[in-house]
Amino acid sequence: MALFLIKYGTDNSAEKIKLKNTNDDDVLIFIQNGVYWTINSEINNIKGKKFTLKSDFISRGYQESSSLTDLIDYSQFIDIIEENEKIIG
Amino acid sequence: MDKKILFVVYQSPVGSVWINEAFRTAFGMYGEDIEPSVLLIEEASVGLSPDTKPETLGLLPISMVHRFVKRYETSVYGVKEHCEKYGVKNIDENFSAKILNESELNGFFHSFDNVIFM
Amino acid sequence: MKLTIQVMVQPYTYEDLDSALKIAEAGLEKGHEVGIFLFCDSVLAINSLIKPIRADRNIPEKIKNLIAEKGLKVDICGICMDYRGINTDMIIPGAKSSGLPELAELIYKSDRFINFMA
Repeated sequence: MALFLIKYGTDNSAEKIKLKNTNDDDVLIFIQNGVYWTINSEINNIKGKKFTLKSDFISRGYQESSSLTDLIDYSQFIDIIEENEKIIG
Repeated sequence: MDKKILFVVYQSPVGSVWINEAFRTAFGMYGEDIEPSVLLIEEASVGLSPDTKPETLGLLPISMVHRFVKRYETSVYGVKEHCEKYGVKNIDENFSAKILNESELNGFFHSFDNVIFM
Repeated sequence: MKLTIQVMVQPYTYEDLDSALKIAEAGLEKGHEVGIFLFCDSVLAINSLIKPIRADRNIPEKIKNLIAEKGLKVDICGICMDYRGINTDMIIPGAKSSGLPELAELIYKSDRFINFMA
């Protein structure tokens, strides 16, 4: 069980590698341009519980309703970090 | 208890400094009970080749890390499919690198306390 | 929880410093111990001589306030500073020039370590 931090968009080779190697019990947080992963239904094929930083998502012109993952704020981000000892970022 | 930390580099060793910085950081870990490893993936795979020489462009050489890899016996890893993708035919023996299959990465990543992509 | 956040890329060009400071502030407000380690080009953010245009945010000022008002700890890679011409007279009050031994200690002693990939 690990927390994956995804900060680059869909063209980034390292993020592709990370997202190919998640497990069902992992947690993924999409921040910054990583939010671009979360607007396409292919995100549903990636294993793990997925969260997107709401402010990074909204600031890029998206409506909350268009998110395919749960949106979180920074306070919830901290709680998720606290819950996950192992971090892959 | 030892912490196992993996430093991963994905950017090219010529034109970016991250291979050198990953190794420099890894070597800095030995003052604590930390077991560092370095994994070179994607474009960084060419850093494993003895023929890759950033110094020909006046950039920092990769070879400067070799003696410390030997001294500290730092574990260095590459990925078979990525070496093939970038035409890396020979692995510099100074790294004593272990080459993983891409299918092994999941378990490999999850075996560390922290994975730090540079 | 003791949380350390490592940033590697330059401020103003990229969002990492901004994200790191928002995470740090949220952590501090929840009563956690939070530190930031500035590595490579991110050390530019610690320069008190930075003068952004009025419409933009002042990152060094933000760091200074988080140190003074909320107890943020900031370590700066000293070699990275030297490489970029930043001396200790230029850095904001409360930030500390350190190095990889300190980073190793932070990684070892922190309950959580997150990094912003370059």
